[in-house]
Amino acid sequence: MIGVYREFEGCMRLAGHVLRRLRVLALPPVAEALTRQIYFTGASATAGIVLRGAFIGTLIIAYVIDVLEADSALAMKILIWVVLREVGPLIAAVLVIQRSGTAVATEIALMHISGEVASLRQMRVDPRDYLVVPRVVGIALSTAALTFYVQVIAVGGGMLLSAVTINASIGELASDFFQLASPLDFVYSTIKSLLFGVAIAVVCCYHGLHPPGVSINAVPKAAINAVTQSTLLVMLLNVVFAYLVFGQAFFGLVTAKL
Amino acid sequence: MSDADPVARADAAASSLAGAARLAFGYEPAEGGGQDRIRIPMGGNHRVGGLNDIQKARLIGAFLELKPERGERLVLLGVEVDGLGAAERAALRARIAFLPAAGGLISSLNAWENIVLPLGFHNPKRLPGTAAQVHDLLGRLGADPGNLLAKLPERMSRFEMKLTGYVRILLENPELVLIEDLFGGLGAGERVDAAGFPAAYQTRCPGGTMVQLESGPVPSTSEGEQHAS
Repeated sequence: MIGVYREFEGCMRLAGHVLRRLRVLALPPVAEALTRQIYFTGASATAGIVLRGAFIGTLIIAYVIDVLEADSALAMKILIWVVLREVGPLIAAVLVIQRSGTAVATEIALMHISGEVASLRQMRVDPRDYLVVPRVVGIALSTAALTFYVQVIAVGGGMLLSAVTINASIGELASDFFQLASPLDFVYSTIKSLLFGVAIAVVCCYHGLHPPGVSINAVPKAAINAVTQSTLLVMLLNVVFAYLVFGQAFFGLVTAKL
Repeated sequence: MSDADPVARADAAASSLAGAARLAFGYEPAEGGGQDRIRIPMGGNHRVGGLNDIQKARLIGAFLELKPERGERLVLLGVEVDGLGAAERAALRARIAFLPAAGGLISSLNAWENIVLPLGFHNPKRLPGTAAQVHDLLGRLGADPGNLLAKLPERMSRFEMKLTGYVRILLENPELVLIEDLFGGLGAGERVDAAGFPAAYQTRCPGGTMVQLESGPVPSTSEGEQHAS
């Protein structure tokens, strides 16, 4: 229990450091690291992540339409409610954990064990500035971008499938969709996916910087801890967000529409 | 450990780290540490040898952290380190540099990125004019810049790793450089090239002090080089 508290406190401190030191992103080496992180998480993974996301999103729509014998309005409600608000950000987050979270935790843990983190300190470079800040910002922005891609592709795929399955034209479905969806849905999912990205990156960087030992065996352990805890944290954040939005959130400014 | 001047050694024994203001690097181990004190005057190239791994690690640790362990004393660039505040420590730390035996490189960065990494953090305005200096330094120290700068550390020889780390240090113009095992793991030809490191430092930072930490006994003194106790 004490260990869990220490890790939570460590992650919160790391997140605080990132917030305080965002200005280091202007330094050339950090800006370069940020570009690499965005390329790795947000660009080079796009095709695979979007395809998997679209497949899952379309599958959900197909299944729900079949089980509920939905009409076009219900199909669009399900698209907005499930895919746009919940499944899109969640799928993107899980895929980012699988691909980038493991890579970040493993890379930093290896750097720690091989003495490269100490080398950075010898150069008077704070490892948190060089290793953590660009990764957190890069992964957060990439998660938001990937979420948007997944939403667009999954909603598009869902609409196409609905048009074929429930005898409604694409125009009719699109009209229903834009009537039911509000800008708040996009704001909500964007904020949520940014938070998911920050949570994933902070937890993975923390475990990379604090591997459970100094031997090479500590590297996979750090990766396992990072993946397990970041997945749990993303689920927890998702529950909190769902409660906030579908109950009363932001002092009553946001209420459930469904 | 050896000493070029027995009189100075006797004087040192009597007065401990007295005259610290004139020392570039002074280190007095804790009682019973089994190690002699080190007194290195300002300027020139010096060698310290005969340290075992534990003694070397403690010395390097104290140098880098600017925090001698209990019972130890450390003087850097004429300043007694113990008792300095955080800001003074940071200012003093910016004037010194350390080159580890393997160069202290980051494995995911190529030689060029490794060289400019600290400069990009501490003095990014100087980056635009750096490429010419790096090419010049590498050329003078026996490397082909066109070949080396794109290499990742995994494809570098031991000498290239040391050279990359060394050029990185030179760009920051430190007043005191501590080098761990400069010749360790080098072939005969590479040793000749590495012997030119101190001269390159003195050309770039006249009046600076270079200290080479050697694991074994200090080899015979070459021209312009001093051994310290």
